Amino acid sequence: MAIELVPQFVPDIFLSWYAPAVYTGFIVAFIGLMGIAIAKKDIHILILTDIVGLSMLVVVGATGTDLAEALILPGLVVELAEIMAISEILVSREMRKNNGSSSLLPLPIVSDMEIMTTAPNFLSLVLIGYGVFLTGFTGGAVAGAGILLYIFSKKSRGLPVLVIDGIGAVSGLAWCLWIVGFLLFFIAPEYWLLSLFMAACGLLLKVASKLGLIGTLMREEYKRE
Amino acid sequence: MMELNIWFYSGCLLAILGSLGTVLGPKVNDPIVRTLNTEVAAIGVSLILLTYNHTLAVLTFMTTSVITSLLLLRVITRLEEMGADT
Repeated sequence: MAIELVPQFVPDIFLSWYAPAVYTGFIVAFIGLMGIAIAKKDIHILILTDIVGLSMLVVVGATGTDLAEALILPGLVVELAEIMAISEILVSREMRKNNGSSSLLPLPIVSDMEIMTTAPNFLSLVLIGYGVFLTGFTGGAVAGAGILLYIFSKKSRGLPVLVIDGIGAVSGLAWCLWIVGFLLFFIAPEYWLLSLFMAACGLLLKVASKLGLIGTLMREEYKRE
Repeated sequence: MMELNIWFYSGCLLAILGSLGTVLGPKVNDPIVRTLNTEVAAIGVSLILLTYNHTLAVLTFMTTSVITSLLLLRVITRLEEMGADT
């Protein structure tokens, strides 16, 4: 029964690795969770969360088919977003507690290069165009990088609420487009090209608008004065 | 012929050893040392994904692990800048 569940194209060596990989994942998860249980400081707990995320990757990767790859990508993105959000929460809590302030990017780098003032229009246009051409997840990341570059280099402060709400609405609509495209795959498989493009363009808009939203919020928060 | 088992089992070993080092290793009370120790486990995981032929997953994982360690180092530096006990 268990053997019949495994597709024919999975190599035998992957099958023999299944148990060791799953055990490795569980051991790593156990070690990480024990570390979280005995750690006292919040920042150490945040670092150890990373280890638990790694164990999730090993367990998912043990599947050994394309399904694993399809599941690992969202897992990675979710883990990244989680660490980003929790680190911001830690910093802002510490700011509130000590009434202290800290620099946005604590690195010995000065970022006022000439290219940031002269070329961002052209560069972000090229990035967004190439991102739209790529479509899908990668294209969304590229186009979002273009929007981020534009927002960070142009000193466009105090964006109206309508713009931020609008970006959020575009993100939500793109999510609906993606879901409808995905559903169409199963309901009407003969329209696979349409549904593929719906899903790809929805994902593009989604990722790009999310990255743009991050840039807008960061600018609103830190460059208020 | 390339012996795939070596890469797979060394990946498992590195993942376990790296997570042990992150939890119990020497001088892990310094959060920067702890962050750098997670990289050992990350190398192990990427070896495992590599032997499974998950190309996209390996590429994305390398990118996100770099971004993750940058984020963690940034939050550690910012917390220390404000004088929080880390």
